[in-house]
Amino acid sequence: MKQLWHLINANLRKEYIELKRYFPNTITMILQFYFIFLAMLLGIHVIGDPQQVETNVQYVIVNYVIWFFMLTILQSLGFVILFEAQRGTLEQLFMTPLGMWRVLFGRIISNLLIFGILVTVLLVLSMLTAGEWLVFRIDVVLPVFLITTIGVIGVGYMLSGLAIIFKQIQSVLNVLQFILMGLAFVPLSVAPYLVFAPFVKGIDMIRLVMIHSYTWNDFTALDYSALILNSIFYLVFGIFIYLKSERFAMERGLLSQY
Amino acid sequence: MEKVIEVKNLEKSYKKKKTKELVKAVDGVSFDVYRGEILGLLGPNGAGKTTTIKSICGLLKPNGGSVHINGFDSNKQRLKAVNYISAVLEGNRNIYWRLTVRENMEYFAGNRGISKKEIQGKIDELLNFFNLKQKEDELVSSLSRGMQQKLAIAVALLPDTDVVLLDEPTLGLDVETSYEVRSLLKRIVEEHGKTIIVSTHDMPVVQEVCDRTVIINGGKVVADEKVEDLIKLFETRAYCFTIGDELTNQQVTAIENHFPIVEINDKQINVTLEKEDDLYIIMDILKSEQTNIEKIDRTTVDFEQVFMQLVRGGDQHETTVASH
Ligand SMILES: Nc1ncnc2c1ncn2[C@@H]1O[C@H](COP(=O)(O)OP(=O)(O)OP(=O)(O)O)[C@@H](O)[C@H]1O
Ligand SMILES: [Mg+2]
Repeated sequence: MKQLWHLINANLRKEYIELKRYFPNTITMILQFYFIFLAMLLGIHVIGDPQQVETNVQYVIVNYVIWFFMLTILQSLGFVILFEAQRGTLEQLFMTPLGMWRVLFGRIISNLLIFGILVTVLLVLSMLTAGEWLVFRIDVVLPVFLITTIGVIGVGYMLSGLAIIFKQIQSVLNVLQFILMGLAFVPLSVAPYLVFAPFVKGIDMIRLVMIHSYTWNDFTALDYSALILNSIFYLVFGIFIYLKSERFAMERGLLSQY
Repeated sequence: MEKVIEVKNLEKSYKKKKTKELVKAVDGVSFDVYRGEILGLLGPNGAGKTTTIKSICGLLKPNGGSVHINGFDSNKQRLKAVNYISAVLEGNRNIYWRLTVRENMEYFAGNRGISKKEIQGKIDELLNFFNLKQKEDELVSSLSRGMQQKLAIAVALLPDTDVVLLDEPTLGLDVETSYEVRSLLKRIVEEHGKTIIVSTHDMPVVQEVCDRTVIINGGKVVADEKVEDLIKLFETRAYCFTIGDELTNQQVTAIENHFPIVEINDKQINVTLEKEDDLYIIMDILKSEQTNIEKIDRTTVDFEQVFMQLVRGGDQHETTVASH
């Protein structure tokens, strides 16, 4: 346990160092994110505020934040693995007796933490600048969000495994933004079967809280079970796919670029 | 002596990407490594050195045979086995070029579950040992190849494992840096009591640094000997005949047919014999045309010649060396 803590720590540090060292990249990303937010928030002002418009803009903002957040985390995981396989550091990571899956855990957690903080700060900042506030019950959103995140970890594992095996994963990673967009923007009321897709239940609930002011009591036991089961399923399934991919890669000699 | 690594009948094939045909990279390799020993894994390009090393690391799953590290199967109990080993597989490509020297060391230690605080002393010790202390805060991308390679080795020494595996640690280094790395390797064994497996094409590495060498060729072990014994063995079998007359074509053909390892110059025949009787065979061939034998000398050989002969001689030598 203590070892796992040190491992997560090391990966957090590395992530932070790289963001700091490649500051121009980082700042571009931050600014881009900030201005898009700002533009959307100001949209409420410009269009005026009949109830309907405000709801639509809020809807877009919530979806966009979630989409951006997941995309950043999942894409960076996949691309980093591709990059490290080409560079030769991937095999070195596999030499840890804690197991590569723990290293990946450290990386996913670091990504979640760093980008979670970044997105939150920027969201607050752009709301401050725009003078337009999204009002929601954080005590309801946060737990739902955290449970949804468990599913994100699972999908992170899945993508990491596929990135180890398929050198063509690059195109999949590029398409990922559209897949995620579909998952983040389409409400369950329109496509109920999406409840089996990753994240969708969680995003839908967050939306209901943020836009329609749902509280704990407005959700049914079925909602909560669907949310938790979905997340747990994708975590377990993701790790399973990852471990299978790892095994396959070791059989075929795919850990290094040959 | 305590056995640390046991490689038994290791087999590994790869599927070729295009044709899907199987390539046997390692074909029944067996050898043991003992505590405190530095073993040279030697072989020409494509011999199967890297495949063997990666199988020991458990990075490749063998198709047959097994590797045990301190009794743990490096395939079936990989994480337990990996606890005792660390490796430098691709030299300077095994470290992060975007991090500094010290950040690299902290990161890799962290991934093994060692805290930043806990590892500082060890990092300083290794930085001094490898003469990298002044460079500790520099980005790896700004270091010379030799320094990068040394850092990669330092990273492998961080967790203080029993065994360190090095795949071609002197590859791409100039003469001077290669010399430095060789003497560092020797000191690591002497001062830190490590067991080291080093794969190389580089003869001086084996001759100066290694206690024992396993030579592989075409995925098979062709020799497993103490380095000095191997040289001695070949010395006693290497002869130089100085003759008074030119050889006839028949004689040349006869000699070349009998002895795969032979070099015939004008009035000299340098030949390595495989058994005692061979000496008589070659004398018979010479006598058949009344060739004058002026002198027979034992010749000295260096490791490079031994290696070339083993690898070129192919299968015949497998038996002779093994029976020694
Ligand atoms: N991942 C792989 N996929 C397909 N074939 C491979 C792979 N790795 C190695 N081979 C093949 O297996 C054989 C042994 O390769 P290996 O890399 O083990 O040799 P080596 O002794 O390390 O050679 P070198 O001195 O060139 O590093 C070679 O024929 C090589 O082409
Ligand atoms: Mg090699």
